[in-house]
Amino acid sequence: MFKNEEMEINLGPQHPSTHGVLRVKLRLDGETITHCRPMIGYLHRGVEKICENQSFFQGQVWTDRMDYCSAVANNLGWAEANEKLFGITVPRRAQYIRTMLNEFNRLASHLIWLATHALDIGAMTVFLYAFREREDILDMNEAFCGSRLTTTAFRIGGLREDLPPGFEKMVQKFLAKFPSCLEEYENLLSENRIWKKRTVGVARLGAEDAIAMGVTGPVLRAAGVPYDIRKAFPYAAYAEMDFEIPTRTEADTYARYLVRMDEMRQSARIIQQCMDGMPEGPVMAKLPKILKPEVNEVYHATEAPKGEIGYYLVGEKGSSNPYRFHVRAPGFINLQSLPKMAEGGLIADIVAAIGTLDIVLGEIDR
Amino acid sequence: MSEPVVPETPQVPEPEAPSGPYVYDYAASPQRQIVLPKTVPLPSYRTYLAEQKAAAEADEARWVKMQADFETAKAKAEAEGKEAPKPPVRPVPRKDDHDMKTPWPQEANDPDLLRLQEILGDKVEEIFEQAGELTCQVEKASVLEALQLCRQDASLNYEMLADETATHYPAATGFAFSVVYHLTSISRRKRLRLRILVPEGFLPESACAVYPGANWMEREIYDMLGIRFANHPDMTRILCPEDWEGHPLRKDYPTVGLGQRDIAFREDRGGMLERIALQKAGQLGINLKQPKAE
Repeated sequence: MFKNEEMEINLGPQHPSTHGVLRVKLRLDGETITHCRPMIGYLHRGVEKICENQSFFQGQVWTDRMDYCSAVANNLGWAEANEKLFGITVPRRAQYIRTMLNEFNRLASHLIWLATHALDIGAMTVFLYAFREREDILDMNEAFCGSRLTTTAFRIGGLREDLPPGFEKMVQKFLAKFPSCLEEYENLLSENRIWKKRTVGVARLGAEDAIAMGVTGPVLRAAGVPYDIRKAFPYAAYAEMDFEIPTRTEADTYARYLVRMDEMRQSARIIQQCMDGMPEGPVMAKLPKILKPEVNEVYHATEAPKGEIGYYLVGEKGSSNPYRFHVRAPGFINLQSLPKMAEGGLIADIVAAIGTLDIVLGEIDR
Repeated sequence: MSEPVVPETPQVPEPEAPSGPYVYDYAASPQRQIVLPKTVPLPSYRTYLAEQKAAAEADEARWVKMQADFETAKAKAEAEGKEAPKPPVRPVPRKDDHDMKTPWPQEANDPDLLRLQEILGDKVEEIFEQAGELTCQVEKASVLEALQLCRQDASLNYEMLADETATHYPAATGFAFSVVYHLTSISRRKRLRLRILVPEGFLPESACAVYPGANWMEREIYDMLGIRFANHPDMTRILCPEDWEGHPLRKDYPTVGLGQRDIAFREDRGGMLERIALQKAGQLGINLKQPKAE
């Protein structure tokens, strides 16, 4: 009574491994995926339309809510795109603080990635360890701007407030213990036989395919392309920082794990440099009360934890609202390559493929 | 023997059909609020130069008029034997000490833009730089050629299509949308913006042939702005449901007062769910049955 035909199933939209409400339509031949079609839009809120009907300042709270795991990185891209549109120069101290907070955010985002990715694959323990360190970073967010997740950390032209007293002590305490924490995670995973069997050689995406599909971030760097916007098109204070771009050539899930672990080390290095070289001075540029742009269009891309986040703004003369507000979400573009990674593999591996892309549906659907 | 009693079939009343249309006619909705833009904020060096020239001429004309007014006032005062009025002072633009320097469009000097113009010739409509970004506007029919050139030319070598999006310009004449392609050259660390202007109903060539990553971006453009692309492998909606009406990022798509979507309850044979929906809406003060007449 064995039938030999393909079966079509839905993964999601409420599956816990899809990190939100992603629906993937799969066609299976036994356990092998022959066709894969991601279907998105369940979380579409019309962020772009909303931001076009609000002033330039008001758009920021919506960038928090796009990729809620890396709100600070989204804020940074948004603030710099606006500054480019108006032609604002930001004070150096503000640049340093922004850089530092952005790197803390990268750590938090990578930690939540590590926790959930390991949980998807079956390593429960890492989840608890990674969330323990993420908690410290969220505490620092709270000390700086009063909220933990949706930070709204920056303003156009700088920062609203300087660092709070005692912040440096918190940072040093964190940096002192973080390398040993990273070792802890690696002890749990790097040489773990089950982890390696689930990740090595799974969901490959070669450099040529990745570039053609527009994939950026750790997924591209794990394919051997040293493209990091922090180095290629330096912004904030990254031009003055000394750090490396970790790359791997294997282009599989395990390589992406190693790249992200190395990136966390580099982030800690950048934070240390920011604390050491923190300049004195104001944190807010001198600006007119109401910002009204001239006719201009800008596309500003920054390196978010998940890849290139770009803001495309069009300014209308005399209007305090952006005429066009578009976000190039890294997850949206990266998710496009899921069929390439999953087709031909086993159905159990698509969970690893979704996890390794590090997607957040809030920014994909916007 | 009495005849067997034929049980009467009970008369089930037909479910009442809603008397009025309970779906808003979107266009006639009284709460519909749209403020259509009056200007066309399309950055362009040519427009900027024309505007600057017009502003300088207007300034000069104002100055000439001020001087003439002064002369007449002076002559009048002399004739009446009064004190002569003060001579006019030419107004200078107010200086501000902000950390803000508006980035104006500038003439293109970048070798990439010049090379594009050299190869494509008349197909390039405009090249300029603004805020450190390079813009090249090409003819709408030859966008695929320009993309291929950027991808394959050894001295351009733009490997990645970072982003593709469009903007709606309802106030413009001759075109309705601008479609922009943001290209990145990873090896040369450069970015370039290609731009085309398309009228309503025009099908631009899809970039998928050159950059496969354009697939979802073009689907999003179609979904949000309603521009269809020719030779696209899968021209369907991506974020909105398949049966969604309208394209949300057009400027004539209202943010308030769109009305209610027609929800077809497929399982709702007796009309029960529909009645509940109407009742619930009534409790919330929304009249789904009859749109309020103006």
